[in-house]
This record gives sequence, structure tokens and C-alpha cells, in this order.
Amino acid sequence: MVDLTIMIYVLMIIAIIAAIFAIEYKNLMLSVVSLVVMNLAIWGVLLLFEVTLFAWIQVIVFGGGLTSLFITVVALTERHKDETFSWKRTVIAFVAVAIIVGIFIWVIIQYDITSITGTIIGFGDLWDERATDIILQGIIFFATTVGIGVLFFHQKKKKLKEKTKV
Amino acid sequence: MIDQVHLLILAVILFGVGLFALLGESNVIKILMGIEIMIIAINLIFIALGTEITAEGNKFTALAQVFPVISLAIGAAVMALGLAIVINNYRHAKSVDSDEMSTLKR
Repeated sequence: MVDLTIMIYVLMIIAIIAAIFAIEYKNLMLSVVSLVVMNLAIWGVLLLFEVTLFAWIQVIVFGGGLTSLFITVVALTERHKDETFSWKRTVIAFVAVAIIVGIFIWVIIQYDITSITGTIIGFGDLWDERATDIILQGIIFFATTVGIGVLFFHQKKKKLKEKTKV
Repeated sequence: MIDQVHLLILAVILFGVGLFALLGESNVIKILMGIEIMIIAINLIFIALGTEITAEGNKFTALAQVFPVISLAIGAAVMALGLAIVINNYRHAKSVDSDEMSTLKR
């Protein structure tokens, strides 16, 4: 019988690789298929961790419902290939993500989160848990703000160029 | 023995992949895929931090699954809205590029 620990590790690695493929495939249909594989791998991980309720709801909503929506959108937009690629944008994004993920993994290992959860929660521990959530939310808001800002400046530059041409 | 730290690290890596899609891609469908991956990662963090450590090992409590389910429902609604905007934009601009999204205001 296969050891459960090895199975969980394998499923985790499959989930990460499938997520990377979903982002990097040029063919959007293959991206959607990779997303389904990632959802199924996470479903397996959650089932092995005995998080049954969430595992089933996750695979029904994200693995089933949203996948059908993605397939519909890819089919309706008739652009099955993603041709856009910018080296500058990719490098900046990679550096930013590497720094953020590195800091998070360092924090998780450094502060030994296993000792926080499961024990009696004092004020300091509660703050630590909340801080983790707040930091993640902050990153999402920061990324969204940067994205909107970049779009705004790009549009301004376009307008300036059009004006100078006229 | 696998505990919640592994689940946390998996979640952080998935969050990084989603963030990379959000920052590095200009195709809106891929950006939405990145947001979906980020939502899944945050739900995994919720699950991992709701662990109850007992003498027999880690126990993922039922209460810890309630918040992720709510988050998942909200995430699904957000994704559906995003995909609707993509189709709407495609009808106007004939493009799924985020740089062309400014045509929505016309």
C-alpha cells in the first residue's frame, strides 16, 4: 500500500505544476484543462487531510462550474491562442512574486505556525493569525492597485502619442 | 508526518503563481485564472490555520471549513462577473487584452 504522506506530496507537486502550466500554456483550452487538473489535485490533498466538506464543495464549484464558464468564454471569444508576451512585464512580475513568496515561506518557517494554532489562543497569537490574513489581503489590494495604475498610465501615454501624431 | 505547515507552503506557492499571472499576463482570461488560483490558495490558508492539534495528530475542524465555503461562494460570483465583463469587452473591442479594456467606457 502506498504511503499517504508520499501521495499527499505527489498531489501537492501535481497541483503546483498544473497551476504553472495553466498560466504558461499559449493554448487557452489547454490552460483550462490544467486548471481542472490543479483543482482535482487539491481535491485529493483535501480528502487525504480529511477536509471532506470543503473538498467536495471546492471540486463542484471551481472544478465543475467555473471550468464550464471558462470553456464557454474561451469558445465565445474565439481567441484560442494567447500571443501577447512582454519580457519586461514578465521579469518584473517574477521578481516581485519571488520576493513575496520568499518572505512568506521564511515567516512560516521562522515563526513556527504549528505552535500558534491548536494551542490556547492569547492576544498575541490571535494578532499573529490576523496579521497573516491582513498581509495577504494587503497584497491582493496592492496588486490590484498597481494593475489599475499601470492601465491608467498606459492609456495616458497612448493618448499623448495620438495627440503628438495629430 | 505531514502537518499544516506543508499545506501553508503549498498555499503560499499557489498564491505566488496566481500573483505572477495577475502581474505578468495581459490576457484577461489568464488573469482571471490567476485570481481563481489565488482564491484557492487563501482558502487553503484558512483550512491550515484552523487545525486543531491533538495527541493523535492534526485534526482539521469542521468550523474551519465554514469560512472557506463562504469565501468560495463569493469567489465564484466574482469570477462569473469577471468572465461576463470579458465577453462584454470582446463584443466591443474584439480583444481579450487588458490593455484594450479602456474601450468599455465608450
